[in-house]
Amino acid sequence: MVNLNTVLLISSILFAIGIAGVLVRRNALVILMSIELMLNAANLNFIAFARHSGSVSGQAFALLVMGFAAAEVAVGLALVVALYRKRDTVQVDDINLLKG
Amino acid sequence: MEHQLETIGRNMFAIFGVMALCGAAFMVASKSAVHSVLGFLFAMLCVAGCFLSLDAEFLGMAQILVYAGGIVVLFLFVVMLVELSKFKEKGVFQLQTRSAVIAVIVGGVAFLAAFRNLLFGTASPEALVLRPELAQGLAVAQQNAQAVSRGLFSDFLLPFEILSVILLVALVGAVVLAKTERV
Repeated sequence: MVNLNTVLLISSILFAIGIAGVLVRRNALVILMSIELMLNAANLNFIAFARHSGSVSGQAFALLVMGFAAAEVAVGLALVVALYRKRDTVQVDDINLLKG
Repeated sequence: MEHQLETIGRNMFAIFGVMALCGAAFMVASKSAVHSVLGFLFAMLCVAGCFLSLDAEFLGMAQILVYAGGIVVLFLFVVMLVELSKFKEKGVFQLQTRSAVIAVIVGGVAFLAAFRNLLFGTASPEALVLRPELAQGLAVAQQNAQAVSRGLFSDFLLPFEILSVILLVALVGAVVLAKTERV
């Protein structure tokens, strides 16, 4: 039997690892993957609460989040490829066009 | 032997969860981008296992198809297109890594302090029970898919349609962004 708090703890740690990846890494690809990781942690919470409350709405919404994540990663990777063509880099600290 | 199998079955979620955390940590920490993608793949498969152990069979399978089948391949293609070897010497982590790690740790401690009672208090031993009316619907994979589709097409019809428009926009946008300058 699964404890709700186990799910919450694991998903919060997963989310924290995702935030750490976004903050710490330079590679834009790894940052995108970390964002996917955070969306997955949210999905885990959705499913756990769906099971806890006895309704399938949470599972349906997790499916929507999954589709949203797919759209987001498609656009994000297209941005990375366009950036590589224009600026010849995917390191986020080389991209400082807006820096004063 | 049977007893051990029973214990493993009962703790399936925790096993998959810890494995997902290990995969995620490997993803963030590894130097090579391909290794990062492999760690990401492992984490996604373990999250799919978590979904399965929470009786969300349809979502577990969708997770495997969408992430392991689609997104990871997309990432691998971009890793192939983008030559990463020239960034090796510039270092993996940001300059502010130390302060970022400290901020994350402080945030985690604050989270645990705020939700300490909720997570480890008296209410926590209460198991995650399945309502009988849902348990019937979630018993078989086909029925789980039926239950999810009922929720999707009754309560979430408008978000579902909006998501399809978003997917179309993302498709067109990705093509426009990634195409070469000369048309």
